[in-house]
Amino acid sequence: MISRAALMGLVTLAWHGLVRRPTRSGLVVAGVTVAVFLFCTVDAMRTGVERATSRASQETALIVYRQNRFCPFTSALPQYYENAIRKIPGVVSVTPVKIVVSNCRASLDVVTFRGVPSEAFAKDHATHASSDAMANWLKRGDSALIGRELADRRRLKAGDRFTAAGVDAYVAGIMESDAPQDQSSAFVHLPFLQEQSKRGSTGGIVTQFDVRISDPTKLDEVALAIDAQFATDQTPTTTRAETAHVARAATDVIALIGFARLLGFAALAAVFALVANAIVLSMRSRQREVSVLQTLGFGGAHLATLVMVEAMLLGSVGGILGAGASYATVALARTAFTMEGVAIAVPPSIAIATLGLVIAITLSLAAGVVPALIAARQSIVAGFRS
Amino acid sequence: MHTTDAIITCAALEKHYTRGGETVRVLESIDLSLDRGAFVALMGPSGSGKTTLLNLFAGIDRHTAGSLTVDGHDIAHLSRAALAAWRAACVGYIFQLYHLVPVLTAYENVELPLYLQPLSRRERHRRVSEALDSVGIADRYAHYPRQLSGGQEQRVAIARAIVTQPALLLADEPTGDLDRVAAAGVMDLLAHLHRDRGQTIVMVTHDPATAHHAQRTVFLEKGRLLETPEVRR
Repeated sequence: MISRAALMGLVTLAWHGLVRRPTRSGLVVAGVTVAVFLFCTVDAMRTGVERATSRASQETALIVYRQNRFCPFTSALPQYYENAIRKIPGVVSVTPVKIVVSNCRASLDVVTFRGVPSEAFAKDHATHASSDAMANWLKRGDSALIGRELADRRRLKAGDRFTAAGVDAYVAGIMESDAPQDQSSAFVHLPFLQEQSKRGSTGGIVTQFDVRISDPTKLDEVALAIDAQFATDQTPTTTRAETAHVARAATDVIALIGFARLLGFAALAAVFALVANAIVLSMRSRQREVSVLQTLGFGGAHLATLVMVEAMLLGSVGGILGAGASYATVALARTAFTMEGVAIAVPPSIAIATLGLVIAITLSLAAGVVPALIAARQSIVAGFRS
Repeated sequence: MHTTDAIITCAALEKHYTRGGETVRVLESIDLSLDRGAFVALMGPSGSGKTTLLNLFAGIDRHTAGSLTVDGHDIAHLSRAALAAWRAACVGYIFQLYHLVPVLTAYENVELPLYLQPLSRRERHRRVSEALDSVGIADRYAHYPRQLSGGQEQRVAIARAIVTQPALLLADEPTGDLDRVAAAGVMDLLAHLHRDRGQTIVMVTHDPATAHHAQRTVFLEKGRLLETPEVRR
């Protein structure tokens, strides 16, 4: 049993040992920091994808897309489908949406124009923009309400004009919404976007329908009913839950993040190897110091504790720095992947930062076990001869 | 053999080890008794077993045969943990090469063994200050070992050895790495500790001038105690 005073002494000794050997400690801490940063950031991406693609039990949103089309450029549906969808039992609302993107592939800098029916949009999003901005948007046919993430990325403010994907729009205001699709989109009037997109005969054509239903347990049933309605039409549809629609669009990104996650785990393995290597080398060069401590009366438990405390401090400092840096980076960058007009936000998460820190400390402690046992069992005389 | 208030008693003490399949007899048939409060010098040529005998007294090495009682403890029967606790309470050890912890200041080095005792921070501070003061190094308490001379380092090492007020102070060639002036200072300090505090000191040396400070000198040769000459002053 180690007394409190002895434990405090060992922590002090371990701390001094690390702080006063700054080069060695700094290199180890830097390695742990980078590894934990990588793990936490990749895990934040994974969390973003998981949140966007996991169907919630209360999900009521469906996306109606052109059958066998996978990109906003090629999904073209007649706007008059809206009335037919609205009549299907269980459907609460239908919003025809025209989507134009500056880049159809996965990217961190995509501008997504969403053409929406003006009055319905203003009613649904009244709380997401100031009344002046909304009034301004309703007043001008070429105006756009810009999501906060897109506005920050492109440094846009109310009153600016901007052009992307061949669409020239006036910024009526900035939208503050938590939904990733809102944050990285520019919402414009549907007729304006249909006119501006200039891809053949676009009048009365939309990319998709956003459908809300009343009963989440009937999501699949309503989706099948919608597709059945247009199965024999010239432009048949595929209807999916919104999360499933995002998951399909993000297939490549999900695969990439799955691979990146392996890198994250490899980084954690590097934490283990790094701390183990540092502690082993440190103890090897300090065998005499260990023998001195033994001569002074420090027992095996004390020495094992000293080694473990050193390992824990290395892991803790590196873990705090790495997890903190990752959290700050994700929070400040407000990153969102956009692919095929679908945005997936990378959310900052205290839980992920805490997980990274706990894993770093746990791995560091695990890395210290063998050196701790060696130090605890070291022969005093052999240590002096080393 | 003296038995009256002996702090160290050993009988038929042996220390062997095996090297390359061959048994090396480092110490053989050591019968010795050292009085509490004595200042004893262990002398002998290199390889005679002086340091090994000192290490056995300190409980940092185990004897192969015979018996060894130090300060009333038959240390052969103490577990590793109990032996460490016993060392912390009863033994102060001074090394030839000082062996201060390089990343700790003089103050922190002296404070180190006190962490093993149930003392308040204030009491630790009092004892460390007193120990550093008694070895004449109080003005160097914030210095690291690399910032001290050899003599000063050895004084800090002595402070570290006496700060726990051990029953037994063991010194392995305490002046072996020092110049003449620094060596004289260290020996005066040890003589002072013995004279004024009644500190029991067992010191290994090969230098007759250093041994002259001791009350009694015991000679070793080829792992055996020489019957004569044992010098008593």
